[in-house]
Amino acid sequence: MINPFTAAPARWLLAIGWTLGAGLALAQPAPPGSTPLPLNDLSAFTSATPNWRIVGAVRTDLGKPNTLQTEKGTGVLVSLPAEKKNSPARDLATTLQHGDADLELDFMMAKGGNSGIYLQGRYEIQLFDSWGAKTASAGDNGSVYERWDEGRPDGQKGYDGHPARQNASRAPGLWQHLKLSFQAPRFDAQGRKTENARLLNVRLNGVLIHDNVELSGPTRGAISADEKPTGPLVFQGDHGAVAFRNIQYISYDKPRPELTNLTFAVYKGKFEKEPEYDKTAPESEGPTTVLSSSVSRLPNEMLIRYKGTLRVAEPGEYRFNLGVPGGAGMLKINNQTVVPLVGWSGSGTGKVTLAKGDVPVELFYSKFMDWIEPALGLSIAGPGVREFVISDATTGGGQEVDPILVDAPTNTILRSFMDMPVEGKRVRVVHAVSVGSPDNVHYSYDLDKGALLQVWRGAFLDATPMWHDRGDGSSRPMGMVQRLGTPMLFLGKLASAQAPWATDTTGTSYRPKGYVLDESDRPTFRYQTYGATVEDKLRVIDNGQGLQRSLTVTNPTADLYARLASGSAITLLDNGLYLIDGQQYVRVDNLAGAKPTVRTVGSQQELIVPVKGSITYSILF
Amino acid sequence: MKKLLTTLLATASLTAALAQESPKEEDFFKIQKLTAPEGTLLEVGGLTTLPDGSLGVATRRGDIWLVQNPTSRTPYFRKFASGLHEILGLAYKDGALYCAQRGELTKLLDTNNDGKADVFETVYAWPLSGHYHEYSFGPKIAPDGSFFVTGNVAFGDEEWWRGESRVPWRGWTMNITPEGNMQPWATGMRSPCGLGIFDNELFYADNQGDWMGSGGIVHVKKGSFVGHPAGLRWTSMANSPLKLTPDQFYAKIDERRRRDENGRAIKPENIASEKPTLLYTMKEQFPDVDVRTPAVWLPHGILGISNSEILEIPKGTFGPFSGQLLVGDQGMSKISRVFMEKVNGEYQGGAIELRNGFRSGVLRMAWAKDGSLFVGETNRGWGSAGDANEGLQRLVWNGAMPFEMRTVKAMPDGFEIEFTKPVDRKSAEDLASYRVESFLYKYHSVYGSPTVNKEALPLKGVKVSADGLKARLIVGDLRRYYIHQLTLDGVRGAEGSYSLVHPIAYYTLNNIPDGTKLSMSDVSTLNSATAPAAAPKAPATPAAPAKKAPAKGSKATTGAKPKLVEGQAVTMAKAPTYEEVKGLLTRHTCLACHQANKRQVGPAYSEVAKRRYTNDQIVELIYNPKPANWPDYATEMPPMPQVPKADALKIAAWINSLAPASGSNSTGAPKP
Repeated sequence: MINPFTAAPARWLLAIGWTLGAGLALAQPAPPGSTPLPLNDLSAFTSATPNWRIVGAVRTDLGKPNTLQTEKGTGVLVSLPAEKKNSPARDLATTLQHGDADLELDFMMAKGGNSGIYLQGRYEIQLFDSWGAKTASAGDNGSVYERWDEGRPDGQKGYDGHPARQNASRAPGLWQHLKLSFQAPRFDAQGRKTENARLLNVRLNGVLIHDNVELSGPTRGAISADEKPTGPLVFQGDHGAVAFRNIQYISYDKPRPELTNLTFAVYKGKFEKEPEYDKTAPESEGPTTVLSSSVSRLPNEMLIRYKGTLRVAEPGEYRFNLGVPGGAGMLKINNQTVVPLVGWSGSGTGKVTLAKGDVPVELFYSKFMDWIEPALGLSIAGPGVREFVISDATTGGGQEVDPILVDAPTNTILRSFMDMPVEGKRVRVVHAVSVGSPDNVHYSYDLDKGALLQVWRGAFLDATPMWHDRGDGSSRPMGMVQRLGTPMLFLGKLASAQAPWATDTTGTSYRPKGYVLDESDRPTFRYQTYGATVEDKLRVIDNGQGLQRSLTVTNPTADLYARLASGSAITLLDNGLYLIDGQQYVRVDNLAGAKPTVRTVGSQQELIVPVKGSITYSILF
Repeated sequence: MKKLLTTLLATASLTAALAQESPKEEDFFKIQKLTAPEGTLLEVGGLTTLPDGSLGVATRRGDIWLVQNPTSRTPYFRKFASGLHEILGLAYKDGALYCAQRGELTKLLDTNNDGKADVFETVYAWPLSGHYHEYSFGPKIAPDGSFFVTGNVAFGDEEWWRGESRVPWRGWTMNITPEGNMQPWATGMRSPCGLGIFDNELFYADNQGDWMGSGGIVHVKKGSFVGHPAGLRWTSMANSPLKLTPDQFYAKIDERRRRDENGRAIKPENIASEKPTLLYTMKEQFPDVDVRTPAVWLPHGILGISNSEILEIPKGTFGPFSGQLLVGDQGMSKISRVFMEKVNGEYQGGAIELRNGFRSGVLRMAWAKDGSLFVGETNRGWGSAGDANEGLQRLVWNGAMPFEMRTVKAMPDGFEIEFTKPVDRKSAEDLASYRVESFLYKYHSVYGSPTVNKEALPLKGVKVSADGLKARLIVGDLRRYYIHQLTLDGVRGAEGSYSLVHPIAYYTLNNIPDGTKLSMSDVSTLNSATAPAAAPKAPATPAAPAKKAPAKGSKATTGAKPKLVEGQAVTMAKAPTYEEVKGLLTRHTCLACHQANKRQVGPAYSEVAKRRYTNDQIVELIYNPKPANWPDYATEMPPMPQVPKADALKIAAWINSLAPASGSNSTGAPKP
């Protein structure tokens, strides 16, 4: 579950925007179809040891180390090394040999679990039960595991590990998401390495935990000490119970198209669309080797027309991304429009299927908004070709902004607007308050509704949107965020057990009363609703595994209910926890004798409980 | 090199001493620093002095500091609260601090006496849409102990220039009881950053913008409408104290919503040729509505571009100015002085500069126990003349009496000016020492306004009191509701023959009082400009300061209608130098927002030069600016068609001489 708002857009070379932050980053063309690794059986792998099997579903008990319960079926790959009958347990390698590749998968750890994914069988992304860890070391979930040299002194044998930037892990038994882009090492004709392997980026549960990390060599436990252009994906299976699903990859193993016979012509004037070139004489023209806005000496009110030949080695569908900040532009291939006229947005995309061979290419960049620096960008992605920038990579600048980051070395409160994704739209919560803790578990609360909005683990807040320049009043969580559904009143009066939950405060006499701080500066929120006075106390659970909430309601009205959770699927587990959409647990701690019920309203399920005086429950994530 | 510099400076001050230059504002009002621990970011949004003399400082980043011994050399900063949302006001009442955050009025209490707030009580929370411009200001405490807070309008999405009230009470003043009951009080506010209580009444100051031709301070009664129509959207709600609906308003006033052939909204621009609509005429248009024009206009670009705090000068403070008002300005980093009187039951009065040169934008002011003034400053995202991002300073009067106009009062036939020190009778009895012009601003949906209907007024006589402390001026063609600019370039003090520290007053003549007019036999009608033989000798000051030089050609003939002093044609064989255009840039208020080489509220002129406009294009942009071309700047430029073309062309030629490749010798303003 990647949050569309906090997921940092890929930093594009043409940071053309003048708006806040990353600005108007060009839209990335969707990668041409990824390939799923079939998990109907183990045929995608070489010589699977008995610890590996294909199942239909897995589940774990938070309290039981290193166990996964399985259900028959397909689609989930699981390793159960602890079971005696499965010995000897070994790692599992794909028949697939990959070089440059994107990889995306879900995984689930058991309590105390330890596994990993070796790219090319050599470079390990550690998978680990890091639930509750305040910070990440090289042995924690998502980190690049360390290399090993027996020749070094004790205590220094492990080296060159790369810890995740923050601990973005979920609890055992919850599905976690890993997404990465890998660039294989490069070799010359003699087989000598000319460039190290590289993790272009790694996202764990939507959080960027590695960005452009160079890998100097194989990590500990690699299939081989040497390095090669390709190798298998290897799943570590001998350290602990682990499950995988939805494994998808894209191999980038085909040559890039080349641009040749390039010529340019610069025309003076303001052109909002393509002019009739034969009616104007160009200011300058000539051959060139690179697409760039810098061939024009005119900073504004000018048009550059490029013509050339695209040499295509691999037939298939190619996608193009054209950046023409401050004006207009268009791309034609084979005399067909591929990227149609780009206007105010400054960028546009298009695709075309190309055969092997040479095709004519033509584009223009017209620049007439004088407050924007000229820059021209063109990127190409194709079958087996990772998106690359074919234009002059050095142009473009945009506004560089120092980020304003807020840590929580002590209990830290910050009010701001908080943007929430709700059914694909942005909802701005205007009376939000975020509370950070030194345990690196944080939450946001909606003072308009007495509602918990989100909990997260990792770094606290990015206040750049609020505090850079005049700001827009909002801040953003920086860690692994668990949204808690559409912001709704936490307490509601239900005429019947099936009555819909109130969508606003009409008729509730709801009144926020602020908050009081305890001796450690932790807030307890206060409000009035339906004539009752409410004290809403949220505290981070000691080892950072979640949040406990205690509500005290004085003079509760009749038929008052609390809505503890909502989601598509709420499941009561054997251990008494409720599992919400496979992404969080709700633990009922003390409901003063009241009984919670799961009810279905439309396509949603809700966990509700009548409120007599006080309730205490926990969110584990 | 350093030695040389020192020598030069010494020479310069020697020259000044020889010239006996008239004292300046900085010779009386000193700006001092408050030391704070390194790294303390004081983007001040609120200031208040506590009963024990400590200073409460609230910041836009949501902290509240309590500063002990704030006027000592070693103030002590204690963080009282943090994590609040863009605080833009702070007040103390009965042991608690109160502040307006973006979305609520909050009461803060330290119940366990550990120096930190532990109760953050929401007194009243108001709706917001979440637009960045929805700032909220206050509170100010009313005489009955209730609170006044104000809320900015948002702006349109497509019509980004148009103030909108998206949710109730944006563009309003709210009155909130300590128990949290809110009474919508008045509307028409656009960016009501300045609030003040004077004479037990609420006054507020706004920023220039759409419907706001210029800043000013406005007396706000329950049910008042002060000009911006966005807030009228909520007048049909049960608790609204005024009933003017948007439909009624727009039926009479064109808000100029237009679309082009592609359906895109068109930004309204100033129409130079139209007969301007004026705010005071709304009183006739809507006789049942309490339409309020400013009690005192603060002319845009002169006494501010974004007026802020309004604060009364207490008894025994700031010498001759006690009982008057101070009004800060964020964009111009300055403080002006306002004096008011009641004529026909309504407030009106005048305004004069007091002190410029604060390090950042002046947003808040509070009095120290010792009679000095704390000044809280910020300019993040807004820009200001002082180029620091934030600041907390202190303004201290050194006790020396400046030669100033203490007040200006309206008279049935003109004005009475009271001075702080006796005038040199000869200069004060000479009508050539005075100029009076009047003008006003447009009331329209365009951002800002040029000055309009400007006229020079005939001066018919002057009577100087026996003690030399008053001059009563008979002025013809007074216009009700207009700003009357009184320029006393020629009046000299008895002592030192000095010029006034600030020779210009702006008096808003909302009412012309009845009463006895002066008899012409009692007054001096001497005008040295029209009677050269009788011209008084030039004042003893060998060189009057350049900026205060009386304008040549100001033929203020007695009785006849004088001509306005406007630009003169120039020939431009080569681009003018900064020294040559500086006077124009000042006169036309350009320097309120622009500097030669540095970003201020608007872009540096050198940045404008890089755009390579022609001189004519720059002139056109002065008359009809295109703020969309400068998206990095928060504040729009108003149209300035009042700048004579010759002046505009000269300014344009100078701007273009700053372009890097122009090969010009011109290097902009001299480096300090």
